[in-house]
Amino acid sequence: MMQALRRSSKMYGAIAAMVPKLYLAYSIWFWMEFVVQILSMTIFVYFWKAVYANSATIAGLDLRQTLNYILLAQILVPVVQNRTIFNFGFLVREGMVGIELLRPMDFQTRYYVESLAGLALSLVLKLPLLLIAWLVFGLTLPSAPAAWGAFALSLLLGQAILFYFDWIFACLAFYSTETWGLSVVREGMALFFSGAILPLNMMPAWLQGVANLLPFAQSLYVPVSFLSGITPVSDAPRAWLVQLVWLVGLVIASRVVFSVSVRKVTVQGG
Amino acid sequence: MPIIRVDNLTKVYRINQKDPGLSGAVKALFRPRHINKVAVDHIHFSVEPGEVVGYIGVNGAGKSTTIKLLTGILMPSAGQVQVMGRDPHRQRVANARDIGVVFGQRSQLWWDLALIESLNLVARIYDVDPARYKQLLDQFSETLELKDLLRVPIRNMSLGQKMRAELAATLIHEPKVVYLDEPTIGLDLIVKERIREFIKEQNRTKGTTVILTTHDLGDIEELCRRVIIIDNGRLIYDGPISTIKDRFGKYRTITFDTLAPVGQPGTDFNIPEGAELVTNGHSAEDRKLVLRFDRTVTSASRVAASLMNEVEVTDFSLSEPGLASIIKQIYNGALAEAEVSEADEAGSQPLSGGHDQDVFGRYCEPSEGVETGP
Amino acid sequence: MLRYLNLYGWFLMQRFKILMEYRMNFLIGASSTVFIQAAGLLAIWVVMGQIPTLQGWSFDEILLVYGLLTLAKSINHMFADNLWTIGWSYIRSGGFDRFLVRPIDPLFHLLAERFCHDGIGNFLVGAVLVARSSTALGIPWTPLNLFYVVVAVLSGGGIFIALNLITATSAFWIMDSIPLTQIIFNTNDFARFPLTIYNRGIQVVLTWLIPYGFASFYPASFLLGRDIGWLAWASPLVAAILLLISFRVWLFGLRHYSGTGS
Repeated sequence: MMQALRRSSKMYGAIAAMVPKLYLAYSIWFWMEFVVQILSMTIFVYFWKAVYANSATIAGLDLRQTLNYILLAQILVPVVQNRTIFNFGFLVREGMVGIELLRPMDFQTRYYVESLAGLALSLVLKLPLLLIAWLVFGLTLPSAPAAWGAFALSLLLGQAILFYFDWIFACLAFYSTETWGLSVVREGMALFFSGAILPLNMMPAWLQGVANLLPFAQSLYVPVSFLSGITPVSDAPRAWLVQLVWLVGLVIASRVVFSVSVRKVTVQGG
Repeated sequence: MPIIRVDNLTKVYRINQKDPGLSGAVKALFRPRHINKVAVDHIHFSVEPGEVVGYIGVNGAGKSTTIKLLTGILMPSAGQVQVMGRDPHRQRVANARDIGVVFGQRSQLWWDLALIESLNLVARIYDVDPARYKQLLDQFSETLELKDLLRVPIRNMSLGQKMRAELAATLIHEPKVVYLDEPTIGLDLIVKERIREFIKEQNRTKGTTVILTTHDLGDIEELCRRVIIIDNGRLIYDGPISTIKDRFGKYRTITFDTLAPVGQPGTDFNIPEGAELVTNGHSAEDRKLVLRFDRTVTSASRVAASLMNEVEVTDFSLSEPGLASIIKQIYNGALAEAEVSEADEAGSQPLSGGHDQDVFGRYCEPSEGVETGP
Repeated sequence: MLRYLNLYGWFLMQRFKILMEYRMNFLIGASSTVFIQAAGLLAIWVVMGQIPTLQGWSFDEILLVYGLLTLAKSINHMFADNLWTIGWSYIRSGGFDRFLVRPIDPLFHLLAERFCHDGIGNFLVGAVLVARSSTALGIPWTPLNLFYVVVAVLSGGGIFIALNLITATSAFWIMDSIPLTQIIFNTNDFARFPLTIYNRGIQVVLTWLIPYGFASFYPASFLLGRDIGWLAWASPLVAAILLLISFRVWLFGLRHYSGTGS
């Protein structure tokens, strides 16, 4: 039992370690991303300052809160940008699914670990951006550790939620080779409904309703709202419960959809 | 009146030296270091219209740089190139209209387009007269057997088909000079033959001048009457292929794998007249023997038999001398004897062109300094 | 000149033949950009719903600025997209040499090789935004205004293409020109909004250094009757000068390429 656990953790660890190497292969591109994101942040900050030029609060948030939110949301946006669909589409297109299914580890868990490691790496790579946001754009972070705790757990849950959601989405790759179009639609929706470009509080009620029906907000808005102080820490337990329900539902659904799709591939020879 | 004239042509590359990593990059910014690599070193030659010239050398010798200089892609560091009376770099467009280039395995055809569409576009680019285009298309469909390929896109073609298509595209505008870089590489013998036949026919009927760079000595033998050999940027031979064939075509090499080590220096082997030991390995433990013999003096069976009498052989293989070894020998003056004897027979200069050469076909030291790149 | 137009037509035709092969991809490509745009526009609409104006600019006025920028951007997207991959697809593989042995201008050849149909989607989005916002704002479509918009969009496109060309030319030295091109290209996002929301420094950069401002803000200001003086008429001049500079830079890069053979 201990043997098996150690072996599997070593395997998962090896997978997780692979991800950073992939990302750091192009370091000039890293600098490009950095500059591009600073430009983006600058635009955002000026935009929101202009928005608040004549109003002290909007939808109950003042300029400081909104700026905090937007800066953090931009830094944490990797959590809604997923690679799963691309990986899937690639595998199906190249006819490699069969090989992947033969690997001695749970297919889905392997990708989950890779996704989590990817997120961790993206966040680490964004630390310089965080520094700039703090020094130049006046980002203020909470001092209370409770806020950080609320943030951390909800981020972890949120990332998992989105991972399993995208898994279902990616199973569609089994049914069509042109997955790129689908992923573009998903990107657009994720960007908006996750709260990456504006806090959900500012959306009209009906749009907020739609956002609550989608899993995107659970992965970004929830954690960022804790960290930016928009949502008080006291709401944390309730938020976590909601996320847990989402997660359980999606894990089950994703495994069902996946086994159905795999059957299609193995029967038809993908 | 030569169609190509190359005078004192030189190309020097300035290669920046940079230490790896970020600190290296910063250092390079403040104190740049470079070395000069002379890719082409004061070469002279001229080509008459209708000639088929083989341009050979090992990789890195300067072949592709020369071709790029001839086609106008590169600017010379010193010296002159004249193709059809024009400077191919300065009068790039005018020169481009009259030349065709095959760049080894990089096809000029569009990956996803059917062959006929690619050809149509090429014809448009080169402004081929529509009636003439139709004629040539029919001709090429015949001689290159393209009739069934016209609707096929390049991505679906085999290597041999691709090369046939490539030749059609290259010659469709009836260029006066064609540069072929490794046209038969990777092809099987039958396809190679067809391609060589086609090139020969074009040269015969249209008088197209052909400059052929290749590693395939079969190509050279079939197509070229004249061969230019370049090594380390310098011309080391420019003359008839008959000389090379006579001198090297008769050699064969046998490599023996032996049971017991034979690498002991000083070991003597009893080998027949006309054969010589090339190497018996680098260390005492080696189990390999390489012998070279002159086909006109002795035979493979005699050499093998005589050696096997002395040494237990586990395997052996027979091969022609490679380009690299031929070039090395030429460089070492191996052609000298042949040329001297030819000169005696013919009573004339064995080498073409009126330029400074000693009798071995090697070039005199450059008298001017070498200009570095821009 | 005429011959080049004719030739471009041929390149275009062949490109469409290739694209028709991948019909699904064609449709997806043309409509994909719409989704990304939609998310951003929706956000702006939501925010504008909560405030009277953005420093004196109404939602429709902002749409006009955004739309003009998108139109100009789409021209670059459609006609000059191949410049992005000049390093990876042509210089690194040696494919660029092919352009140099053909009897046509290598820049023309590079651009004509790839008309990017995705840009059509962008163009339509921009056109719809301009049409909708100008109707809502009651901008009269007099012949002068129409002519002005056409010139402004073409100038804007020229500015985009010129900047694209300048950054792409770096490929002759460093091969991977994409990071540099991406950075300069991304500054156009500033011009999505009226330049007045930024500080003086940024305004100067976007007007005189990386003049995307002339693709959106200044023409929009003119159409909206805002007083910007002679800057209203400067777009074509700025575009022309920038294009000239960019072509010079390109030729300089070409000379370097034939000097060093990369």
